[in-house]
Amino acid sequence: MASSPAVKDAVSNQNNSNQSTQQPLQHVAKRLEKFKTTIFTQMSSLAIKHGAINLGQGFPNFDGPEFVKEAAIQAIKDGKSQYARGYGVPDFSSAIAERFKKDTGLVVDPEKEITVTSGCTEAIAATMLGLINPGDEVILFAPFYDSYEATLSMAGAKIKCITLRPPDFSVPIDELKSAITQDTRAVLINTPHNPTGKMFTREELSTIASLCIENDVLVFTDEVYDKLAFEMDHISMASLPGMYERTVTLNSLGKTFSLTGWKIGWAIAPPHLTWGVRQAHSFLTFATSTPMQWAAAVALRAPESYYDELKRDYMAKKEILVEGLKAVGFKVFPSSGTYFVVVDHTPFSLENDVAFCEYLIKEVGVVAIPTSVFYLNPEDGKNLVRFTFCKDEGTLRAAVDRMKEKLKRK
Amino acid sequence: MEQKLSSAAKTFTPSPIQELSHLAQRSNAINLAEGFPDFPAPSHLKNAAISAINSDFNQYRHVQGICDHLANIMKEMHGLDFDPRTDMAICCGQTEAFAAAVFAIIDQGDEVVLFDPSYETYEGCIRMAGGIPVYVALEPPHWTLDPERFINSLTARTKAVILNRLTNMKWHSPHNPTGKVFTKDELETIAGACRRRDCIAITDEVYEHITYDNMKHISLASLPGMQERTIITSSLSKTFSVTGWRVGWAIAPAFFASAIRNIHVKITDSAPAPFQEAALTALRSPPEYFEKLRREYESKRDYIVQMIEGIGFQIKFKPRGAFFLFAELPENYLLSDVEYVKELIKQAGVVAVPGCGFFHTTLSTEKLSQVGCRYQKRYVRFAFCKSSATLAAAAQKLAELSDAMGCDIGGKNA
Repeated sequence: MASSPAVKDAVSNQNNSNQSTQQPLQHVAKRLEKFKTTIFTQMSSLAIKHGAINLGQGFPNFDGPEFVKEAAIQAIKDGKSQYARGYGVPDFSSAIAERFKKDTGLVVDPEKEITVTSGCTEAIAATMLGLINPGDEVILFAPFYDSYEATLSMAGAKIKCITLRPPDFSVPIDELKSAITQDTRAVLINTPHNPTGKMFTREELSTIASLCIENDVLVFTDEVYDKLAFEMDHISMASLPGMYERTVTLNSLGKTFSLTGWKIGWAIAPPHLTWGVRQAHSFLTFATSTPMQWAAAVALRAPESYYDELKRDYMAKKEILVEGLKAVGFKVFPSSGTYFVVVDHTPFSLENDVAFCEYLIKEVGVVAIPTSVFYLNPEDGKNLVRFTFCKDEGTLRAAVDRMKEKLKRK
Repeated sequence: MEQKLSSAAKTFTPSPIQELSHLAQRSNAINLAEGFPDFPAPSHLKNAAISAINSDFNQYRHVQGICDHLANIMKEMHGLDFDPRTDMAICCGQTEAFAAAVFAIIDQGDEVVLFDPSYETYEGCIRMAGGIPVYVALEPPHWTLDPERFINSLTARTKAVILNRLTNMKWHSPHNPTGKVFTKDELETIAGACRRRDCIAITDEVYEHITYDNMKHISLASLPGMQERTIITSSLSKTFSVTGWRVGWAIAPAFFASAIRNIHVKITDSAPAPFQEAALTALRSPPEYFEKLRREYESKRDYIVQMIEGIGFQIKFKPRGAFFLFAELPENYLLSDVEYVKELIKQAGVVAVPGCGFFHTTLSTEKLSQVGCRYQKRYVRFAFCKSSATLAAAAQKLAELSDAMGCDIGGKNA
């Protein structure tokens, strides 16, 4: 059995210290080949060491809104610190349904069609484990958020990957048509898309939809950035004709309300699919943080003005970063949504994305994320790195200044 | 579309407990079923959480200080040395710590030994990971471990033994209710087998601070040769009456802990940030806090034992830990545990949990099937993690019932 990098270090220590102890390596499950220490952690450690400005990790350096924090505090004071109903506090499930109706026009039953989870990460894990059998074929679009591959391997799925390519990361339709077959169990879509900022168009979604209907395929959509849609309207696959009955829509509180540490997410799906998600969820975490759910219900009932202001703020931040990156000499790809932007770093003549990011931290004092980690084949991402603009404007300007000063084309 | 469910999900069916809890809700009954407190969390803890929220501890975090405190506690309580930098994973409750541990070590076809009666979540988790649960029945009325039965359950495919040392809970589904604490001899039997067969043990120690009659909680990991092969899971929930905060952990040798962390990161990424911060306050609680916890729960235990004896139950086994009383139905009651609980709701307005859901039949209990599994329908679980007012109200209602019905609930014959 091949050893995964994370285990190797520990094992070599073990070997040195005690030859007579039985090898513990065989105890660790085979699935762990896919579970390595993440690039985010590695880059963050390096960043701290060099005092670099972190535009790598995708969480804000500013706090969430007062009215939501107050609601959580009130819930704690009101004694709401015991187990919530496993699949969600009823009032919160209702709030999710209300918001979903505003966003998509779809009416869902909060009792039967909504599952609350510890963040969207858990919603993804529960969906994979509850609805995917070992050997099932699942289609992913690369680059993809790192937990997709990991949880699919936990479920024993066969992964088929379709790569989205610069400059506009559009869906290669011919490749898609030959990829989705009778053997396909599910397609996983992330829109707005991390790391590229691409948003799936209505045409793309319709094409995927008809292929899924034709071949009886499920769709799982990760829509955590749906409120950070700048260049076009966000479209939920579930709202397309014939799609609700085969779609699991995943979302969370963290990105919209700058409370990424609260771990409040959810899955919306028709009852027969929700059943599977709930079963897996009940064994993964059983229940989700109670006071935060009460606060999340308040958050989701925020007036439209909250969302308008959120967009305005982020668009201003985006402009600072994008203009700055262009001025420095990156090739910047258009990002329609999320708080990420992907750039081509090759004008700076470093070997690949990891080398560039290390250089950027050590010599310039700014953190970006190498995108090769988001691909099944790392070679596909070696020219690209991802910056985030979920930081206060001062931080963004400081980062841009550092890059203007120290990052020179070679 | 039902074929779209994973095969693991399809095997799970709704429990009869669900129906009973609906009945209970409709009747507005006193709830001695749910295994979580109806009294508030300690105020110093609530204040710590509120302060964390106000101080902007609201983004993804890993609070290393929790690991430092846990290392100290493990040293003090069990004499065990763990490295806080490498030997721990902070998770969303003990549930997630356990799930991550199972996914870290269980491959398709691995057998996992569990002691019956037990918490149903363990099985679900094991199956999801492709493992095969193998139940070893503990012997009523004291739920003792039969070493021979245990040894016979082990095969070449046995990967792990789950030690649900003390009872566990999940309010809407059945679980180990007995309040048994494994004796040193029983632990040595288990440890010996694990060492000889190179098995891993996963322990669930969520009730580690709730033990009675001066019983000391012994961690399996403290036995010879066990620290290197034991994964300890626990949480804040029961010790600090914050079952809704979802902060738990796994403690294990570095290579296990690292694997568990890597899996946890892909399941939830991190535990709720403000509650991780508040966990620092919790884990720094002085010895007096734990003393008081024990004392108060012990007096509740004594109170409920008396209460339930008063309505005709024979309590042959007083719980030694956790906050459940698993009591055998009165001899003259001929119907099942489910029937009894239904009647208790209707006639007394008190809810409890029928014990049948905690028992599982398995290949290795042939002896049991000869004797008959009748005892599996003869137990009812009462929770006593309730305020004095709630317990007193329940006592009142049950006293009225006894007076009215003469200790013979239902009054019906089979």
